[in-house]
Amino acid sequence: MNGEQEVKLRLDGVSKSYARGKQRHPVLDRISLTVREGEFVTLIGPSGSGKTTLFRLIGGVERPDEGQIYIGGELATGRRGLISYMPQQASLFPWMSVAANISSALATAGVPAKEAETLASRWLERIGLGAVAKQYPHVLSGGMQQRVSFLRALLMPRDIMCLDEPFAALDALTRADMQAWLLQLWEAERRSVLFVTHSIEEALTLSDRIYVLSPAPARVLAELAVPFPRPRRVGVWKDPAFVELKERVLAMLGEGAAHGR
Amino acid sequence: MANKSYRSVLLPVATLFGLALVWQASCSLFAIDPWMLPSPLDIAERMGTDAARLAEQSAATLTLALKGIGLGVGFGVVSAILFHLIPGVRTALSPVIIITQNIPLIALGPLLMLWFGFGILPKLILLVLVCYFPVAWSMLAGLGQAEPHLREYLAMIGAKRWEVLRRLELPASLPYFFSGLKITATYSISSAIVAEWLGGSEGIGHYLVLKKNGYDTAGVFSAIICIVALSLLFYGIAALLERLVIRWRPPRSEEKGGKAA
Repeated sequence: MNGEQEVKLRLDGVSKSYARGKQRHPVLDRISLTVREGEFVTLIGPSGSGKTTLFRLIGGVERPDEGQIYIGGELATGRRGLISYMPQQASLFPWMSVAANISSALATAGVPAKEAETLASRWLERIGLGAVAKQYPHVLSGGMQQRVSFLRALLMPRDIMCLDEPFAALDALTRADMQAWLLQLWEAERRSVLFVTHSIEEALTLSDRIYVLSPAPARVLAELAVPFPRPRRVGVWKDPAFVELKERVLAMLGEGAAHGR
Repeated sequence: MANKSYRSVLLPVATLFGLALVWQASCSLFAIDPWMLPSPLDIAERMGTDAARLAEQSAATLTLALKGIGLGVGFGVVSAILFHLIPGVRTALSPVIIITQNIPLIALGPLLMLWFGFGILPKLILLVLVCYFPVAWSMLAGLGQAEPHLREYLAMIGAKRWEVLRRLELPASLPYFFSGLKITATYSISSAIVAEWLGGSEGIGHYLVLKKNGYDTAGVFSAIICIVALSLLFYGIAALLERLVIRWRPPRSEEKGGKAA
């Protein structure tokens, strides 16, 4: 995308290691990356490459050993409450209605209660879940719960949305469905997104740029721009350039990751 | 389902009725003296003639138990939250609390009366001590049981401590609170009886002492029936409250089984 757009998230040489017994295990090794305004950026890497740790650092739940994190242009290392987040499990509160799950998260982000309620019900209507807004989340299927979880992240007025393998627990059909749904909704809204996935196809279908991470300790192996135009077709995977890019990423990730997908 | 609930009511009722029949028959057959073991009909007759007094005394016991349960549950909830929020307090106070729980009521009651006279105060203290513990301890356990992934989600979006308490920990502790409340509900009646037995001028416990001293065994049985009825009533109210408050649980598996069959 356009390089002059405002940088919403910047990681500057972020490293992190954990002590296990007497030994220190490095997890992240000088990670630097940026997400610009309205950009969809994906991190892809083998399992256990510390992507979840990276998210915890960005969320301010943990502090890096080295390096700094900037959100919305300000130093944000170790500061909480600056991102919106969609975890792997939908993580909806079972005792709150679907609408209250969304509006309470908005309240945490400083949206006045009345406005939060209106936003939640209007958007649930828009994504076709208006009928279940007042129900408890357990009536929803896994895919529907993830839609609510995505909406909750989308509506929080924060500089960056962090999506941590949000579709990993879904079956293949639901997953493809969700990708198309998310693509459409995101292209209409254009929020700044940092997305984590194991799936190369998913990364190539959704993103503007991709960072390829190495196995632990994670380093940035490469940064790829995804050239396909927006709005993106769901059949973009048939494009020869798609296959070529996929092979490049596969080659970088090595055999370990190539097996699973 | 209808057949099942029909059976679940009918079978226990038939058992109780059968037992009463055997009891009645044995009393007549072996000509047992009524002051040794009154027959069910003797007891029913006594309850009929003494109905006004029994009702009055039951009401007094009920009032005492309600006061005790109100205060005990109140203290229990407040201290569970305090113990949860301030880590040192629990460790500091738990020996004292556990010691109070292990002093028999029979020993503690007379001491309290020695110190606080024969009014309502020593009885209330006794009841509060009994009602406090099940609620405080089970709720404290519940506050720590909140699902880790929901906790992580709230941390990632930067929720404040009180938001975590209100949105996650308190609702998650409610099922634990109610299992404590159900225990407390039945304890409270039997402790009220002990308190009234030890000293007092009203209540079923007091009535029980008078009847025992007068070798009015039918009167003793009448009191027992009132006590059991009060305990069941309290338990029923606690269980009903639980069902009214906790409505977010998905349908029970047995209901699902019923539908499939």
